Amino acid sequence: MSGDGAVDGALRALADPTRRTILRLVRDRELPAGEIAGHFPAISRPAVSQHLRVLTDAGLVDVRADGNRRLYRFRDDGLRHAAAVLDEMWSDRLARLQEAAEREEWPQRARRERR
Amino acid sequence: MTGTGRTVVEHTLRIRARPETVWRFWTDPERICDWWGSTADLDPQPGGRCLVDLGGGAVMRGEFVELVPHERIVFTFGWEPAPGAPAVAPGSSVVEITLTAAGDDTILALRHTGLAPASADEHRSGWGHFLPKLGAAAGGN
Repeated sequence: MSGDGAVDGALRALADPTRRTILRLVRDRELPAGEIAGHFPAISRPAVSQHLRVLTDAGLVDVRADGNRRLYRFRDDGLRHAAAVLDEMWSDRLARLQEAAEREEWPQRARRERR
Repeated sequence: MTGTGRTVVEHTLRIRARPETVWRFWTDPERICDWWGSTADLDPQPGGRCLVDLGGGAVMRGEFVELVPHERIVFTFGWEPAPGAPAVAPGSSVVEITLTAAGDDTILALRHTGLAPASADEHRSGWGHFLPKLGAAAGGN
């Protein structure tokens, strides 16, 4: 399968709230790095640049140079993103399934183990 | 940019409960709502309905394809078209669940296949809908 590493990278990139906010900012329009950084007054410019690099490396945003500016935009890649969304959904829901099923058997197990 | 291939989502986990118990959490509408849906309409037989409403307008509509009691469940998987729904059309992907007994435990393997590349437009709306949820999930909510 093609997508395992890519999905891992995308999910890691998404694990950070600042990066998720950046993705929302560049979802519908291309923005220069400076304007993106302007949305995060509490975060240093190098830290914002690092977040942008993680997003670019994960394939979630595209970057291009325009003079001395760097412009970022969300990358449309339906397959990878649909897979990432489903992967996240399943891992979250299966953890709940595990918990619910174990809770249901727990009283019997506790009795067995006590013997 | 978008690959022409299809992709696969796979998960395996060990559950400290027997396959019969785990099976019920996939086929009993009440139990499936303990972990997945807010409401569900299940008719667990080949060709039967598999509808899970996650709330917030997200409805998974599928059809059971194969059921081997306590061992294997196959159903088609898709989101009902709705504003903001993820771009996986009903019938366009397949989920296979395999339950294997390991002592008193169950090894559950999930394989979700047949995901087709989505159009950019569909995809954009799907992403917009799910980003906040991903955020909540990743935040350990």
